[in-house]
Amino acid sequence: MNLKQYQQIKLGFVIVIAIIVSQSIIFKNYFIPVAVMIVGTLVLTILRRKVKGVMADERDYITGGKAAILAIQIYSWIAVVSMFIMLGLQDFNPAYEPIAVTLAFSTCVLMLLYAVIFRYYNKFSLTDKKFMYTAFVLGLFLALAVVGVRLFSGEDDWMCKNGEWVKHGQPDFPAPLVECK
Amino acid sequence: MKNKIKELRTELNITQEKLAEMAGVRRETIVFLEQGKYNPSLKLAHDVAVALKTTIDKLFVFEN
Repeated sequence: MNLKQYQQIKLGFVIVIAIIVSQSIIFKNYFIPVAVMIVGTLVLTILRRKVKGVMADERDYITGGKAAILAIQIYSWIAVVSMFIMLGLQDFNPAYEPIAVTLAFSTCVLMLLYAVIFRYYNKFSLTDKKFMYTAFVLGLFLALAVVGVRLFSGEDDWMCKNGEWVKHGQPDFPAPLVECK
Repeated sequence: MKNKIKELRTELNITQEKLAEMAGVRRETIVFLEQGKYNPSLKLAHDVAVALKTTIDKLFVFEN
């Protein structure tokens, strides 16, 4: 298989996956698109190994690195500015708050991921410490996930009941200032 | 940094496609190299030099 054939097959896969994802959202079936994406990725990985010729060289990797840094910076700026705008407007529409929090955390996770992967390739990938570093990073992300789930699980929060804010668990912050409806 | 890639490639009657294949890169990279718009890694410089039956110091001209 040559590169052109592979790219045509890849384009076909992308079109098919896009159609399946859009239809799945309409029919509210979220299992099928995930399964299709996993299968598609596996098939493309296998096909990629059968391609004769160079798919990407050192210039592509350098360009890709520059493009990735710029994309992360642009996304982070847009996400942070949008987050503050939505936090500022949350009194008008409380639905903005979870969107703002999601944007903030996605930006943090993206930058954290970039930092640990950069450090891995820049320092640890060529040493014996790479397994220790990988284990440390996995442990760190696991701990962050546990803390995140604990914080956002709603165990210790204020709940709106009959027009009043009622404690649920032991929240360590005051009741929301917005009206409870 | 200037180079003599195009000159030597023409002398040896090798196409950009063939040189790219011999050096293990894409043809576009050879185009950029010939135009002096891309500084290769030491490995790529070595691979191109070997493909063109010369040495790095003869292929690339370093200027202060």
